[in-house]
Parts: sequence; structure tokens; C-alpha cells
Amino acid sequence: MSRMAVLAFCLAVPALVWGIAQGGLPPYLLHILALACTYAIPAIGLNIMLGYAGLVCLGHAAFVGLGAYTLGILAVDHGWSFWGALPLAAVVAGVAGGALGAVTLRLRTHFFMIATLAFGLVLHAVMNNWEELTRGPVGLPGIPRPEGFTLLGLDFAFRRLPDFAAFAVGATAVAFAISALLIRSDFGRMLVAIRQDETLAAAKGVNVTAGKVLAFAIGAAIAGAGGAVKAAFLRVSAPASFEYLEGINLVLIVIIGGAGRLSGPLLGALLFVALPEYLRVAAEWRLVFFGVALVMLMRFAPEGLAGILARVFRRRAAAA
Amino acid sequence: MLAFAEQAVNGLMMGSIYVFVALGMMLIYGVMHVLNFAHGALFMLGGYVAQTIFMRVFDNYLLAVAGAVLFLILIGALLERGVFAPLRGNLRNQVIASLGLVLVIQNTVVAVFGPNALQFPVQATRATVQLGPLSFAVQHLLIIAVGAACVAALFAFLHLTKLGTALRAVSQNPRGALVVGIDVEATHKLAFALSMALAAIGGALLGPLFLVFPQMGDLPLVKGLAGIVLGGMGSIPGAVLGGLAIGVIEATSTLVLPTDWKDVVVFCTIVVVLLLRPQGLFGLRTRDDHG
Repeated sequence: MSRMAVLAFCLAVPALVWGIAQGGLPPYLLHILALACTYAIPAIGLNIMLGYAGLVCLGHAAFVGLGAYTLGILAVDHGWSFWGALPLAAVVAGVAGGALGAVTLRLRTHFFMIATLAFGLVLHAVMNNWEELTRGPVGLPGIPRPEGFTLLGLDFAFRRLPDFAAFAVGATAVAFAISALLIRSDFGRMLVAIRQDETLAAAKGVNVTAGKVLAFAIGAAIAGAGGAVKAAFLRVSAPASFEYLEGINLVLIVIIGGAGRLSGPLLGALLFVALPEYLRVAAEWRLVFFGVALVMLMRFAPEGLAGILARVFRRRAAAA
Repeated sequence: MLAFAEQAVNGLMMGSIYVFVALGMMLIYGVMHVLNFAHGALFMLGGYVAQTIFMRVFDNYLLAVAGAVLFLILIGALLERGVFAPLRGNLRNQVIASLGLVLVIQNTVVAVFGPNALQFPVQATRATVQLGPLSFAVQHLLIIAVGAACVAALFAFLHLTKLGTALRAVSQNPRGALVVGIDVEATHKLAFALSMALAAIGGALLGPLFLVFPQMGDLPLVKGLAGIVLGGMGSIPGAVLGGLAIGVIEATSTLVLPTDWKDVVVFCTIVVVLLLRPQGLFGLRTRDDHG
């Protein structure tokens, strides 16, 4: 990552966030944008596991749910502020992720996928059935938006939709920056080494066990933070948002966007949420379209959208 | 004791449904070494096709089931040709494509038939049979009987016919099978067709009991997977016993736990078996499970 890119990122994100918060955009667009962010953040976490470490986790929605319920229970039942609960949401999901990573380490391919799927199903069933804690299938209502505060003489507020959409975009940018820093570090290279050839990586002295568990913990923690943002946006935490199909949707977002590319989850989430809204056809046909697109991508461009874009840019650069 | 007997029969009934799913997935896994996660959606499609034929065309359950079998074999041939064959050699891409197929099939069904559950009023769901002090819907016993018949037929096919032997040979060693002159491509198509036929029969059998709806294949898929894990990945007898066991475990767990938790019991079974005995009860470790 060049210095120019970092500088551009550091200037563009605050400008974008400020621009959105000014409230010039129509509410519908803001809603779509915030919703796309609630998918993008967990997808960024999943990309670390799936895209870089090569672990196909089918239960990722459960980590999102853990974050959402952590915020919901702390804020609604115990009066915590959003800012106090957010780190805890990430920690709870991260610990669960690390634990799942540690116990499923020995499993490969199909076994691993089935185990992560079962984990997601168990947590979803717990959310549905543990009524004393989660209020059961109807969900936990009345989750507050983040509280406003004043920092360096600037007032930050999050109750209105433009403000919250701006916050969601900012949070996505932070998650993106964290994943970018991780991936460009030694840790990121270690993950890629594990994905490419686990045995060789181990022989070269890479601690495969630690790498996988950490990838899981970090990916899940980011998903948990995303879950808190999602619950604050929807104002409710309900099991239906974290069922296994949502976990599969997250996998599709990462794959369609481009697994193992930093911008992949962002592109995938935007496409997943925004494009169907734009197409404005019946909800079912959008998902049909998505499924077909996915199958076609697997056949003709398994590197995803980010991969296709990178290829186009390279060709342009070569031609110029 | 009576309650246990009743739940055991219910468990065998649902277990038979899980056996249809588990066997179908294992047939494809055996020769192609891929788990088809769209199997639950195809099972559901079988239910819808049978329901449509029954309500709108023939009003004959047997013909409806036969129609569903034919339709699904056709769909399976298209999927094998159009999706799985071109992706051969890349496990991850095949699995992800099968996840995409779940979206395609489930949402096409919602778009065509609507999101609501449809009635599938087969006579056998209303008629009851008296077994001692207990009474069961004929459909319950029909499912168990058809399940047993299909398992017997499949075993006879796999062990007594040349085609079945070829199928087993490919699942043991594809290269060896190729060397002795077996058409490996053809066995893939055969496995897919058998798998689709089982999915169609399963969906058409379950539909009359619990209605036909777009998510009707979701839980059978997961429970079928649980049966596979319990029985052992890659083992056909394991898929049968595992599927039945999952049905009975789930049904009898309701005797001690609230009904809402029966799914949790099954999902935890998967996790525990995978952790303690990943090869399952009858697992074969003849082929690596590397992607």
C-alpha cells in the first residue's frame, strides 16, 4: 500500500462521512447505505478467515448475532451506553470465534464447513429459545442508537438517519483499515502462507494453529462489532437476522466481491444490498439473479469482482 | 414407555426422511467428492413438483411422486452438466456454487409458488393405523416403508449390478476405475440421477405431512448432514444408520427436553461427533478430504 493510498484514504473517509452527515441525500439512499455497511463489516471479518486464511466458515452470522445481542442485552437490560457495549460486543464474538477456531482446527474442508454450519445453527437456536435472555423469536426491541458526544469542540450525534449512515460508513472504514493493516503485516502473510500450503507453512516454521485461531478470533470480533452496528441501526436484535442463510449470504458477499482482496467485501456488500434495490424487481428474483451471478462467477471468474476490476485496470495500465 | 414407543416411531419416520437426504448427498460425495449444499432445496423442489402434479394434473399420489422423480432427474442432469462438471477439481468453488444454487432454487420457488405453505392433502395423512394403544397416520408408516424399500433397492443396485459396482469402484478409486475401463463421467451422471430421485421421493413423502413450503428442505438438509457425520463421511450404510439415529435421537429428546430444543440436540451431536470421532461410526478414510 503506497503512502499516497493511505493519505487518500485518511482524507477521503472523513470527507465522505462529513458529506453524508450533512443530510443532502434522500432517506431511502441513506437507508440502503447504512444497510450495506451492516453487511460490509461482518464481510470484512469473514474475508480475513475465508479470503486470506482459506477457512470456509458457514456460521459467520452467529458472530454477528453475538455482537448484536451483547449490545442489546447490555443497553436495554443494563443501561449501558453504545460506546461501552461496542468493544464488549467485539470481545464476546472474538472469544467465541477463537474458541470455535481452536476446536475445529483439526477438521478439514467438508468437516470444517459442517462444524461451522452446526455452530451457527446452535447459536441461532439458542437466540430463538433462551427467552429469558434474548426474548425469543420476536427479538430484543428498543436498542438505542449510539449516544452523541462532543470531541475537540465538534458535536457528534447519531440519532438522525444521515448521522447514523455517516457513522456506519465511518465504522466500515475503520474495519477496512484494521483488516488492511493486518493483511499487510507479517500476520497477513502468515495467513496467506497457511492458505496456500499448510504443510509447507508449518515446515517453514509458521505456527499454523495460532494463525488459524487468531484469524478466527479477529474475523469474529469484527463481525461482532458489525453486529452491534446492525442492532443499533435496526433498533432490534432478532434471531431471523442471524439465521444460517444470512451466514451463507455473507460468504456469497465475500466471494462475489472477491475473496482475498481488501476491497472485495465492500464491493460485495454494496452489490448485494444496493444493486437489487436499484433493479427494483420482486425480492425473490433479485436473489435468484444473485445466485445465478454467483454460479457464473465460480465458472468464469472465481476471483470475484475485485479480481475482475484489478484485471481491467492492469490491462489499461499495460495499454497506456 | 408408551410415550417412548410413540416417539421412536416418529423418530424412525423423520429418520427415514433424513436417510433420503443423507443417501442422496453421499452418492454424489462418493463419486464426485463434493457435498451438494443445494440438496435441501432440491428436496423441497421435489415436494413442490409432486404437490403441483397432485393438485392440478392427476390427483394420483403415485403419479405425482413419479413425476417429481423425473423432473428432478432432469434438473440434476442440467446441474451436473452446467455447474458441477465444469468446476471439477476445485472443491471450494463447487461448494460455493452449490450455495448459490440454494438461492436460485429457493427464490425461484418463492417467486413462482409464493412464500406461503401449500396443502398437499393426500389420503394417507388422514387415515390412521392402530398399533396396540397407539395410532399413527398411514403416511408415517408409508414413509418408513418406502424408505426401507428404497434403501434395499439401492443396496441391491450397488452390489448386484454392473452399474452399481462401477459406481462403487469410482467412489473407492477414480483413477483405478478409469484404468479398468469404467466411464467415470457416466458414473457421475448416474450418481446425480439417483441422488435426485431420492431427493424427489423424500420431498414428495414429507410434503403431505408438514405442508409444502420454500424452507421445507432446510432442516432435513442439516439433519441429513448430521446423519452423514454420525454415520461417517463417505459410507452408504453409515448414511442410513446415521440418518435413522438422528431421527430417533431428535424425537426421543423431546421426552426429556422442551420440544424447542430438539434441533439444538441434533446440532450439538454434529459438533460432538466431529470433535471426538470425525470419521463417524462407520467412516472410511480411504480418500483424503483435502480440497
